[in-house]
Amino acid sequence: MAHAIDVALMDKIKKHGPGGTLDVSACFNCGNCTAVCPLAEDSSGFPRRVIRMAQVGMEKELLADEDIWRCYACGECTKTCPREADPMQFMAAARSYAISRYDATGLSGLMYRSVTVNILVFLLLSAFFVLLLLSHKGGLEMGSNGALFSGVGSTRLFQFIPGEWVHGIGVALFIVIGASLAFGVFSMIYKVMSRKSPSGERPAFPLSALIPSIVTAVTDALNHRRFRNCDATGQPSGEPLHLRAWFVHASIMWGFIAMLIATTVDYLFKPIGSPVPPWYSMRLLGLVGGLVCLYGLTIAISRRISGKETPYDKSSFSDWFFLLLLTGTVLTGLITEIVVYLPHPTLFGYVTFLTHIVLAMDILILMPLTKFAHVVYRTLALALHEWALAPAPEKAMAAASNA
Amino acid sequence: MTPTTEQSNAYRPDALVVGGGIAGMQSALDLADQGLKVMLVERGPSIGGHMIALAKVFPTLDCASCITAPKMSASSHHDNIKILVNTEVQGIQTLNGVHHVKLLKKATYVNFDKCIGCRLCEYACDAEYPDPLEEGLGAKRAIGVAFTNAIPQKAVLDPELCATCGTCARVCPTDAIEFDQQAETVIVQTDAVVVASGFALNSLNVKPQYNAARSKNIISALTMERLLAPHGPYGRVLRPSDGKIPSSVAFVQCAGSRDASIGVSYCSRVCCMYAIKQAMLLSGALPIADITIYYMDIRAFGKGYEQFYQNAKAMGVNFVRGKVARIDPVDDGDLSLHVETTEDPENFLQEHRHDLVVLAQGMLPDWDMSGTTPVQRSSDGFVATPMLTSPTLTTAQGIFVAGVAAGPKDIVDTIAEAGAAAMQVSQYLYQKRSANVSESQTAVLVG
Repeated sequence: MAHAIDVALMDKIKKHGPGGTLDVSACFNCGNCTAVCPLAEDSSGFPRRVIRMAQVGMEKELLADEDIWRCYACGECTKTCPREADPMQFMAAARSYAISRYDATGLSGLMYRSVTVNILVFLLLSAFFVLLLLSHKGGLEMGSNGALFSGVGSTRLFQFIPGEWVHGIGVALFIVIGASLAFGVFSMIYKVMSRKSPSGERPAFPLSALIPSIVTAVTDALNHRRFRNCDATGQPSGEPLHLRAWFVHASIMWGFIAMLIATTVDYLFKPIGSPVPPWYSMRLLGLVGGLVCLYGLTIAISRRISGKETPYDKSSFSDWFFLLLLTGTVLTGLITEIVVYLPHPTLFGYVTFLTHIVLAMDILILMPLTKFAHVVYRTLALALHEWALAPAPEKAMAAASNA
Repeated sequence: MTPTTEQSNAYRPDALVVGGGIAGMQSALDLADQGLKVMLVERGPSIGGHMIALAKVFPTLDCASCITAPKMSASSHHDNIKILVNTEVQGIQTLNGVHHVKLLKKATYVNFDKCIGCRLCEYACDAEYPDPLEEGLGAKRAIGVAFTNAIPQKAVLDPELCATCGTCARVCPTDAIEFDQQAETVIVQTDAVVVASGFALNSLNVKPQYNAARSKNIISALTMERLLAPHGPYGRVLRPSDGKIPSSVAFVQCAGSRDASIGVSYCSRVCCMYAIKQAMLLSGALPIADITIYYMDIRAFGKGYEQFYQNAKAMGVNFVRGKVARIDPVDDGDLSLHVETTEDPENFLQEHRHDLVVLAQGMLPDWDMSGTTPVQRSSDGFVATPMLTSPTLTTAQGIFVAGVAAGPKDIVDTIAEAGAAAMQVSQYLYQKRSANVSESQTAVLVG
């Protein structure tokens, strides 16, 4: 079978590594990474096989391999790699490279590879949203009329920026993102499903297993089943639960989901801008979600700042961008929550709210282009992985009849 | 306090050899045979080095002690060689081309002039300890001759192990036991030094993933040598935890070298070959046992080595390509090895169970002389040899290096290099002395 070889593949992937320090060319394929990996559970041979693909330039096979998404970066391979080739960072770089190749616009690749482009896009986008939102001239209500509760004047956020505008822009963004992401998703599905094994065989991908595969993948993502297996690294000195990578990730993810639910339900069932007390269910959910998310983000950031140890010693800019953008959004959101209950409206409150809206919009529009995209790609990859493992219907029936 | 004796007028060798292993003995013999006076300094109680403890040597499967023992006795009987055992080199200072070598003669608590090597003290001693020569498997007494064919055949008392009962002094027929003996520092002047200080091995526990601390059945290759040696601790191959005859033995290669994560990124060069050799010997000792060598790549570089490797394959030794990532102790004292077999396209990730595991530890330099002597080390810790065309020259004039002190190598290469170092020394001494002669002649003529 003929293979199209991209001789520059390794160099391209290296550009997605942290600060160009990735030296995975040093790998001599000893297989230590695969054998030490707590997640390598079948005969797939990752991460070594994926590194090998990159070394010999098998780009098509690399992009068709959902295995890169089964790594949760516990760092055990990097800690024990005899060549200090840093397989963990390679896997992260390969994921980022794959996203940039699934994306049709090429913009995500630019953002991943260049810190300058990343910051520039972020600043331009933010400036655009600020101008767009301020063009409404809503005015700042600083007087004491319009009691929120207890008869004292308060911040009227949605007079400053009308809810319809926020909503309108949001819908527009969803369409843009949806189109962009749909292309990337289709690209990934196509590449994985047309993959052939070395002996020329294709997984069956039986239709009957489609829904169960998706359900399993989504459930695994939500309850971190695979991620939690990273605990089983065979090391006697385990970290306390609240510092473990999967727990921190779960905090960020579930906090984010809670905030997403709160915002959506708020929008659907409550008139925009109508005042509610803090114990209003959806506001409370958002508040708790925000705090939980903030906890995870704080741990993730502080470990990266102080961390000299794998996996926290070398983070790529896209990691930092993801964490900082999310932290900015959550922090401004939480401050806004406080601001609306202040007796007097303040300019600070309005600016914070504006920042929050702008950052949230940045997250939305940049979602398919940045690390946020892993939400979709990783879940999809795991679903495809489950699906590829499912036996063909006739074989399953044969097995059942034998049993 | 140890008294220092300046022995400027005492014995003055032409060359001093640091280390009494195969490299040091060969250098000393090659120098002595040219009529040069040599002092051979050994830290331990006997010359012979690591080689005398080996079972057999590759690729000829010759008996190691049958090759080493004649070199040992040749060294000890040579008129031009003076051997100092239990003596450490503490530093070298070079003044006007003369090396002042500071030696610490450790207290042996036995007067070597009186001791006749009858071993009555050893037989009478009650204090028994794991024998370091047998890698801890056999027993050793607090006083005694180091091993059966040790040279010199003199008893040495270990004050760390001695219970000071005095039995040895009572049974000694020559009153050689001296409990009040003191360590002594002497300075020896010489024109040339050969560093042949050999190697140490890094710990079995250097990779925590191998869990060597949790199982007695994860052993070093030197332990396996002793198990295979005809005069070894058990006289047969048994596994240490329960004395079971092993039915499945694994050799884990590169367990202490070629691994940047433990700081030893160089290759120790001998492990592939001794693993193959031990596998062959095991095939003879345990005919029905499964023997597997886990390797990254087999480095069979020397004369006859590739054929030796092919012979091992033909004999049925299993070779599995893949670095063992983890060893977990399981029930019955057995061990479970996690490895990715990179040659099997259908089944990469594997778990194999063995009842005895041999780790190929990394070779490290045994002596850091960089602060106390003019000799510099290279980045890997071994003696720096800056001249590619003269591999036995160090950074210091008049100081030469031979064997593993300069970098990992096998016995064949070590012996060749020891001879080369001896040749460099005699050439250096000849030039130095003829220059001195011509200088003095010039002085006479001018004067």
